Amino acid sequence: MALPMHLVGRRNGGNKALGEPRAWGSFPVRESRPIDRGARTLLALLAGLLLAGLSSIPGAQAQAPSERQVKAAFLYNFAKFVEWPPDRFADPQDPLVLCVTGEDPFGTVLDGIVLGKTANGHPLALRRLRREQEARGCQILFVSASERKRLRPLLESLKGTSILTVGESDGFAQQGVMINFILEENRVHFEINVDAAERAGLKISSRLLSLAKVVRGER
Amino acid sequence: MRSGMRRALRTSALAMAVLLSGGPGSAQDQKSVPDLTEMSLEKLMDIEVDTVYGASRYLQKVTEAPASVSIVTAEEIQKYGYRSLADVLRSVRGFYVTYDRNYSYVGVRGFARPGDYNSRILLLVDGHRVNDNVFDQAFLGTEFPIDLDLIERVEVIRGPNSSLYVASAFLGVVNVVTKRGRDSKGLSFSGELASYGTYKGRLSYGKRFANGLETLFSASNYDSQGQQRLYFKEFDSPATHHGIAENADYDGYHQIFAKVFYRDFTVHAIYGSREKGIPTASFGTVFNDPATRTVDARGYLDLQYERELASQWALLGRLYYDQYDYHGTYVYDYSQEGGPSRVLNSDDAHGKWWGGELNLGRTFRKKHHFVVGSEYRDNFQQDQGNFDVNPFLQYFADPHDSRIGAAFVQGDIALRSDLFLNLGLRYDHYSTFGGTTNPRVALIYRPFEKTSLKLLYARAFRPPNAYELYNAGYATVPNPGLQPEIVNTGELVLEQYLGKYVSLTASAFRYRMRSLISLRTDPASGALTYENTGHVNGKGLEFEVRRKSSWGLEGGVSYSLQEAEIPNSGQPLINLPRHLGKLKFSAPLVKRKLFASLDLEYLSRRRTLGGNFAGGHAVPNLTLFSRPSAAGLKGWELSASLYNLFNTRYGDPTSEEHREDVIFQDGRTYRFKVQYRF
Repeated sequence: MALPMHLVGRRNGGNKALGEPRAWGSFPVRESRPIDRGARTLLALLAGLLLAGLSSIPGAQAQAPSERQVKAAFLYNFAKFVEWPPDRFADPQDPLVLCVTGEDPFGTVLDGIVLGKTANGHPLALRRLRREQEARGCQILFVSASERKRLRPLLESLKGTSILTVGESDGFAQQGVMINFILEENRVHFEINVDAAERAGLKISSRLLSLAKVVRGER
Repeated sequence: MRSGMRRALRTSALAMAVLLSGGPGSAQDQKSVPDLTEMSLEKLMDIEVDTVYGASRYLQKVTEAPASVSIVTAEEIQKYGYRSLADVLRSVRGFYVTYDRNYSYVGVRGFARPGDYNSRILLLVDGHRVNDNVFDQAFLGTEFPIDLDLIERVEVIRGPNSSLYVASAFLGVVNVVTKRGRDSKGLSFSGELASYGTYKGRLSYGKRFANGLETLFSASNYDSQGQQRLYFKEFDSPATHHGIAENADYDGYHQIFAKVFYRDFTVHAIYGSREKGIPTASFGTVFNDPATRTVDARGYLDLQYERELASQWALLGRLYYDQYDYHGTYVYDYSQEGGPSRVLNSDDAHGKWWGGELNLGRTFRKKHHFVVGSEYRDNFQQDQGNFDVNPFLQYFADPHDSRIGAAFVQGDIALRSDLFLNLGLRYDHYSTFGGTTNPRVALIYRPFEKTSLKLLYARAFRPPNAYELYNAGYATVPNPGLQPEIVNTGELVLEQYLGKYVSLTASAFRYRMRSLISLRTDPASGALTYENTGHVNGKGLEFEVRRKSSWGLEGGVSYSLQEAEIPNSGQPLINLPRHLGKLKFSAPLVKRKLFASLDLEYLSRRRTLGGNFAGGHAVPNLTLFSRPSAAGLKGWELSASLYNLFNTRYGDPTSEEHREDVIFQDGRTYRFKVQYRF
């Protein structure tokens, strides 16, 4: 039997033996029909309807709190539900300083939260740190996602202080950030690294702990 | 296709105006919102929030990356009704997919040579390479071994700048990140019913334990009859059933998935096997014989260790074992040569490999980062073979093995607080062709937090795969001396975020490909062999506007202009659409519960191998997605989709093994999907 004039395989050249691929003649391929006018108008109308429908739904967007606002509200709550060692405040009227290091994702939201509020008698204050600035005067330090790669050295420099570190990036809690925001099904929840908080001399209220995901860090 | 382009541009302009104007809700921020500080902790934890760019953890990733990145989230996958990774890539700026009713092939930046098995894009799942070790194929359609419901997000990274961490990606990297136990808690199932007798079922179980252990297990089964009567004009004759192929477009797969995460360790185990009937009578097979099919099975076990060590060090280690099996059955008629009229030909490839990688990173002075890495892969089996079943006749049996070793170094230097330089160099050594060194450079200027300007250059290679090196058959002489293909790419990208919701991207690129592996006829012997003889120069412009808002109006428009040519020849490129347009639009019909989403892809006409054109087309898909959270329906997610809404008839250019010049795609089809979490 003669060898068959083929060889299969994914990209075999054997088929060339059957002749030039287009030796059967160049079939006039029917150009595909583009969307016709009517359909196009329908599409535009549909889009317009969706838009109009959306605009008319009252409060479709306006009332829903943003992720930023919810996180800012949590920061205020952390100030209430965490106890700093007594020597952190020289005076019961001393401000409780909330600092943000790295690229501040809060915009004006934090300023609004902090304005005129107190936590356990201490008035709240807000400070944005420039990159190399010391965080010494802060009670709460929010570490933004931009500091991800610098996290280790930052946490090292905070050793021995009793600053509550807060973050919102993947893996921050495992690396030693005390409270880390996570999104679960579009709700703001948080993880707490209890060991890190204890090492810093901070006492987190059991109420806050019970609502958090407790995370084990290293060392 | 001028009118088509104008149409697309007009629609894009309208959509862009809508997106930029933002719709309602973009101006609010400090409006009358209930004072959240008065709320209890429990209430705060129950508020559903909107995910926007500014708050997204991906913002950092995208603007800092020394490459142009697009991200498609799990939410978008559900909202837009994507059925496969191919559908996901169709929606990405600058990408297009062609389908020949066997596999799906992706084109990037206008380059999509018919017949290529996606060996020029690297497909990763959680950092693990999915391309097999015989064909180097990235599996994008139903052949992709992981259920889309398990995907957390898809990161599409363009150009060879994409990654230094894994063997160079020629045109880009698609990294699929899967969900963790915490993202898919408890028992969940999904059921799908779609056109042409298509059914899919999935059962998953995820759990996060108190000690931090997370597990996710899942199994899926897909079965589609396909179009029971497919007409191919090229076969319209009495001898070949008047061009009608019956019951030959079937498609089915089984998949299992397991992921365990504990402390710094992650273990992945996956296996997927997919069978597809081939109705096109490709490779000269008998028309209308449903026995012609391919079966692809892919599985792997991957163990990853990732850890931050003392203060400034970071470590990543990986160990893996992979397997790939391909089995094709092709029905031939040898009666013209005096043989039987129906012979089954068996075409096989078997690959097994294991390997490991180790990367070490260090931060200096809190702002410079360096990574050093190495990888070793032992392809201890790369076997191919082909034989006729009955009467038995073996054409070739080719066992092979090879090894790959690689090392790279990368530095991320902060020249100023707003100027970063990224330099990388990678050396790969293949036991097949030797060594190759490839650099990459990126200069990133970020004058403002929301602005990023990137100047990128990289060189990448594509190694000749086992198929090109060794597949010997009648009329093909193997060429074990094949060298890798090389591409040099330069790109300028501008990324700008406006407000909280909108992002704008503009880019210009140029690339030069050399030594492309192409099939050539030796004039002396008439034999066909692979040689490094292809050259392609390409360039283009891309533009994209996106508005992201989980609960509100969201969407995007993108446009790509791409050109490519074979230098010093008048030959035009096949399957190159000059214009690509994408439109995505999603609006809530009922606040946070019901969404209507439109997804449209526009391709201008493409040349075919036969010298004709596959006409330009704009195909919209519509999906209604509902996430009822009212007491009665909690836990349910429902969706109804219509694909190719206006039943547009359009086709994709074919490759040499097809008698057809263009393969027409499905008309309007539907899909119903139900998901429930216990």
